Amino acid sequence: MHIQDGILSAQECAVYYGVTAAVVIPGVLEIKKRVEQNPYYKPFLAMVGVAVFVISSMHLPVPVTGSCSHPCGTTLAAIIVGPFATVVISTIVLFFQAIFLGHGGITTIGANTVSMGIAGTFAGFVVWKIFRMLQFPIWAAAAVSGFVGDIVTYLVSALELALSLHGNVPLLKQWMIFFMGYGPTQVPLAVMEAIFSAVVLKVMLERRPDLLPGILTKKDKVKGRQLCAMKG
Amino acid sequence: MRNERMRTDIPSVQWFDGFTKAVLLTMFILLAFIFISAKYMSSHKMEAGGTDDTVNSMAAKVSGSAAHPFVDLPGDAQVGAFSIANLCVGLIVGHLWTMLFERNAEKQLPRRRDEEADALHEDLIGK
Repeated sequence: MHIQDGILSAQECAVYYGVTAAVVIPGVLEIKKRVEQNPYYKPFLAMVGVAVFVISSMHLPVPVTGSCSHPCGTTLAAIIVGPFATVVISTIVLFFQAIFLGHGGITTIGANTVSMGIAGTFAGFVVWKIFRMLQFPIWAAAAVSGFVGDIVTYLVSALELALSLHGNVPLLKQWMIFFMGYGPTQVPLAVMEAIFSAVVLKVMLERRPDLLPGILTKKDKVKGRQLCAMKG
Repeated sequence: MRNERMRTDIPSVQWFDGFTKAVLLTMFILLAFIFISAKYMSSHKMEAGGTDDTVNSMAAKVSGSAAHPFVDLPGDAQVGAFSIANLCVGLIVGHLWTMLFERNAEKQLPRRRDEEADALHEDLIGK
């Protein structure tokens, strides 16, 4: 999903930068607010930020398709630190990947943030919220949201390219052409990301559930209170 | 006599603690997966290139423009850049993970008294 410099036009890059800025600003405000509320939020944010950096630059081979790709890690980040804060993290991560690792470009940071930081993050986060509302176990909700977030990232990246380059070809056809460049390799990696998200979240909750209060739903809290009362 | 006293004062130190073992095991599994996949792809004459590069090349062909990353890291420079970045990232994640999630992390960061969370922990995790 790391679109390089020179593919999108200047106007398109400007639009994607504008969309990114519109989400990054509430993201910065969310971070400020949560830092005041929770003293553990700063180290969490730092840890999640560098984790997203390494996860989204870790190319893994998929022998079935004979190519490599990388997971994103943004859905897990959104569950832990919030979706708007994850957009801020993604923008910073994509900047450093562009200038140091040759991943993506500077003009396309906006477009890459829209696919990985906004679309993937929010899609995964919405799925997480829905599954938790439906009382699915935390590991199941994390796994499904991780899978969805990963695939949506690549769908949107392909859509960005198709919107820019479809010309006389129907948009849907061009979109699927670009997505087929990603899809076959990405599906197994999305499954890996699903397992990874579930395991990491489970380990975090096992160790320090008190550090992740936002993960619990209202119904969970009622259940918790009942459990506390039963224990006396 | 002095040496003996010193030896008894020092708590026993393991070669590998549980965390290191878990991380090493994960690393070996992932590296074995990459090695086997690479062998398979090599024997089947697959290119094993990145999908990002493939799609960027497709897009550049369609647009007729020259797509390029912001920096191009030739040969071993890319390995070097990734190694340094991942070393630093690993150190930061490890440091913060220890601070937040180690079993004795409460000594470093006081535990928020939240019995509700404790109860939920047992309930949700199924312990």
